[in-house]
Amino acid sequence: MSASAPALTRFGRNLVAAPRRFVETMFRSGAPTSDRKRATFVFGNVFLHLHPARTHRWSLRWATTWGLGIASFAALGLTLVTGVLLMFYYKPYPDAAYDSIKDIHFVVPTGRFIRNIHRWAGNVMVVTVILHMARAFYTAAYRRPREFNWVVGMLLLVVTLGLAFTGYLLPWDQLAYWAITIGANIAQSPREVTDALAMTGWFDPGGFQKLLLLGADTVGAEALIRFYLLHVMILPLGIALLLAVHFWRIRKDGGLTRPDDAEQRLGPTRGVYPVFREAPQRTYQLAALVRGKTAAVGRGPEGTVPAMPHLLYAELAVLMVTTFVCLLLALFLDAPLKELANAAVPENPAKAPWYFLGLQELVAFSAFMGGIGIPSIVVIGLALIPYLDRETDGTGVWFGGPGGGRLVLTSAAFGLAAVLGVEAIAIRFGWIREWWPHAPQLLITAINPGTVLTAIYGAYSIYLVRRYDSTRAGALGLFTCFLAGFLVLTVIGTHFRGPNWEFFWSPAQWPGH
Amino acid sequence: MRANKHLLLWTSLGTLLFLGWAAYTENVQNEWRQLQRAYRSALPPEQREAFRIELRQIVVPALHVSDRCVSCHVGMAPGEAGLRGHRTFAPHPDVVHDPSGFGCTVCHGGQGRATVKGDAHGTVPHWPEPQIPRRYAHAGCGSCHTHLEVPNLAILGHGRDLVERYDCLACHSLDGRGGTLRPAGTGGMAGPDLSRVGATAHDRGWYGKHLAQREAAQVGPWRDSFAPVPEPDLAAIVEFLDSRVGAPGLVEAKALFHSLGCRGCHSIGGVGGDDGPDLTRVGQRDPGQLDFSSVPGERSLAGWFAEHFRAPAKVVPGSAMPALGLSDAQIEQLTFHLLSLRRPEFPEAFWPRDRIRAVRFDEREFAVDGATLYGTFCAACHGPQGQGIRYAGMSVFPAIGNPDFLALASDEFLRQTIHSGRPGRRMPAWGEKTGGLRPSEIETLVGFVRGLGGGAAPGPDPRPGRWAAGEPELGARLYAANCASCHGERGQGNEGPALANRVLLASATDTYLAETVRRGRRGTTMPAFSAPSPVRGMLSEAEIESIVTHLRGWQESSR
Repeated sequence: MSASAPALTRFGRNLVAAPRRFVETMFRSGAPTSDRKRATFVFGNVFLHLHPARTHRWSLRWATTWGLGIASFAALGLTLVTGVLLMFYYKPYPDAAYDSIKDIHFVVPTGRFIRNIHRWAGNVMVVTVILHMARAFYTAAYRRPREFNWVVGMLLLVVTLGLAFTGYLLPWDQLAYWAITIGANIAQSPREVTDALAMTGWFDPGGFQKLLLLGADTVGAEALIRFYLLHVMILPLGIALLLAVHFWRIRKDGGLTRPDDAEQRLGPTRGVYPVFREAPQRTYQLAALVRGKTAAVGRGPEGTVPAMPHLLYAELAVLMVTTFVCLLLALFLDAPLKELANAAVPENPAKAPWYFLGLQELVAFSAFMGGIGIPSIVVIGLALIPYLDRETDGTGVWFGGPGGGRLVLTSAAFGLAAVLGVEAIAIRFGWIREWWPHAPQLLITAINPGTVLTAIYGAYSIYLVRRYDSTRAGALGLFTCFLAGFLVLTVIGTHFRGPNWEFFWSPAQWPGH
Repeated sequence: MRANKHLLLWTSLGTLLFLGWAAYTENVQNEWRQLQRAYRSALPPEQREAFRIELRQIVVPALHVSDRCVSCHVGMAPGEAGLRGHRTFAPHPDVVHDPSGFGCTVCHGGQGRATVKGDAHGTVPHWPEPQIPRRYAHAGCGSCHTHLEVPNLAILGHGRDLVERYDCLACHSLDGRGGTLRPAGTGGMAGPDLSRVGATAHDRGWYGKHLAQREAAQVGPWRDSFAPVPEPDLAAIVEFLDSRVGAPGLVEAKALFHSLGCRGCHSIGGVGGDDGPDLTRVGQRDPGQLDFSSVPGERSLAGWFAEHFRAPAKVVPGSAMPALGLSDAQIEQLTFHLLSLRRPEFPEAFWPRDRIRAVRFDEREFAVDGATLYGTFCAACHGPQGQGIRYAGMSVFPAIGNPDFLALASDEFLRQTIHSGRPGRRMPAWGEKTGGLRPSEIETLVGFVRGLGGGAAPGPDPRPGRWAAGEPELGARLYAANCASCHGERGQGNEGPALANRVLLASATDTYLAETVRRGRRGTTMPAFSAPSPVRGMLSEAEIESIVTHLRGWQESSR
């Protein structure tokens, strides 16, 4: 633009060029046509700069991660978006909640669909986080330096289950009311121990927990408001904070776990332009005065490809697949809604949400152990894994470590056999009180199918540690047993338990209507 | 990366497709929109423009009602004329109330908030109150008109017959029949429709005016069609007309219910026996909670009721309700009545007159003459003529109209028995706090029961209430030999009534007991023990006195 042209002409030319200039100023680095521009595209963008500028090819393999982490994130995003939309119409008061859900279903344009997506995305999220945890475990992704991120992941699991559970109450129907009644009574289960020790009068953590949860003695308006607040504000903020830490740690720990010989396993790069071979002396834009190296220094980027487009397309693909699946489910399967909550008509059987049914099965034998004891053992045990297994053999590979895939199969079979055996005995013959009606409660708290199973799994794990001379082998066995047990207990709680929590081979055999 | 790009592309397209499909099916192609489009095209062309396709609902916040039935049943929406005769779009039939005053679900049941047919009609799982079937539609009146006044069934029938016989239907239409169809200007006349004359204020002097008209007319219908009505017939006609409230089936059904003695075991609104379940809200029961394993046909509340009337013990194992041998027409009517027993909570501002009269002013919805009271509370067990009933598998219900019994039972005895019942047996206590009957009503019943026995009454008894001074051991032996087989070894009752009963022993005099043993009760299985017999020995006066002493021995232990 000639500066000597008259101002009015310049004005006209500027106006015409304005749209193109607008785009250019929005995307400062321009189209990502070179590696430098691709890198800038990622780290110069406020939404994307949590990503690395370059990603290792191993991390992009579907077989490495199955995209489960991003799928969980996608499911979370779906629940957030649909949840906000639902908040426009949902009313968190017992007199209005149920009717507002009916209105959403029948009157709000596409309300049925949005509500179904919300419910399905929530369930999909619980499934994917559990599978993601299994993936991270089996690829030994918790090893140094990623121990703390594994713990953050455990916290995320707890918050996810909390989100699903708090949301369960909001429709205020029979399903919701009685499931949360069960949950609150499980929170009160420390009384099983304090009662047996005659301590409840002056030390009642169970009662306190239940009061904290419900804000009253029974599920009512207080509980609903409380659960609503947890579900839409406190737990989402919590999950956002934890996710920020979780993703930040992935960057700082050097990306996803990969085996040391990842390059050899991958083979030559195909279909991608050759990457440069020099190891950087320093990372990008590292301030000269900082001491020490980041994870990328000293490691050649031979196996890396630009995040834009490779990582971004992979993430987008996972996001869209998750969305597609959730929408497919939402289109054809309605979220359940039973009769209006009625305190005078208990559901029989009153069942917790499916992800807690395994626990409810154990609670049926001992409320304290099934509701508090064993979940605590599980969570703490899982959290301890990175600190107990500090070996390096097999990191980054599925079923890596001594024993490998065969050990996992054997452990799965063992775990299945153990849980099926213990459950069969308990169902067929009953438990201690069948033969000894006056058995003290503490004995049953200490010895019940849940604790017996835990002891069996623990003993098996210790056996594996000694046999393979490896803590990783023990961890592999224990985790696999835990998954098998969780699966079988959940299936039993879902399908084989009927009224009064009695065993039936099929719901068609339930007495009554 | 190629694979990822493809995955992204196809799932994105699929997602867009789903979103579009959902948006389309839920917002453009949904049921009520399609129906409203069909309605619009059926309208005359000049009205089509003005008709807007939108969600319609009747909202009454005080009743928590948001009824969207009128989104599909557009003809019934306020402001719409409807299409007569059409299955869905017909206007609402002419009823007493404005349909948009209360919404639809208050009267019809169903799920008002729903906009899909199955859900709206409530015939889906997890909706506890399905719509009342159309043939029983007037059962919905019972939601508010919980104490609809009905006359005695016999008088109702008699009044209806008289209205026919006196040819009132020549000029008056009534419940869809009768009335004249003379075109205007041809010298004819038509009387007002009488279907709702009992619900609205009407001229109580109508008969006098009719007579006057007849006197004044020389020729024409007043001369030919109207004739004077004698007094007792007139009273029956007036009672019948007072029951015309625009729900003829409902009134008939309720009157039938109050003639079969159902409230002898079942309480409604706190008045009635306690042997069977309380029926106050039985019409609101959730069919999803009922056991249909023995009920053929559709799984509806009406179907369950009907089968239960046919064979109670089949539908409810272990039921104490006998099979009453009802005809199909009676079962239909009783089902109708049970469906009307509803009592949803709503503000007093919406209470109709009958409910206010009953709750605030303690008026009865059934007539309080002896025949109706007996038919309402006693007839099912004691028989329509007080002859007693023997149902299979149950102990016998006594014949309280038996003249031999009434010849010994004083009014006080009858009154106390009705008031306090027979604790531990099937006879409930009918006092105000228990069965809900008032002293005046009990008195009326006593008089009616006495009438059933032809007026037999005990003469004056010179002896005191307790004069028996026999030997208890002799009495015990004699009792065991002669009485225990029917009255039970411990007097707990079997074929015969329970004698070791607190209320019986408190209200019966020794004379009553001794004379009953001595004379027996003809027509029942209680023989006269002082009469000669080929199968047992006669009992002397002293032996009877000992038996009475033995019975009195139970008075302390049964307290």
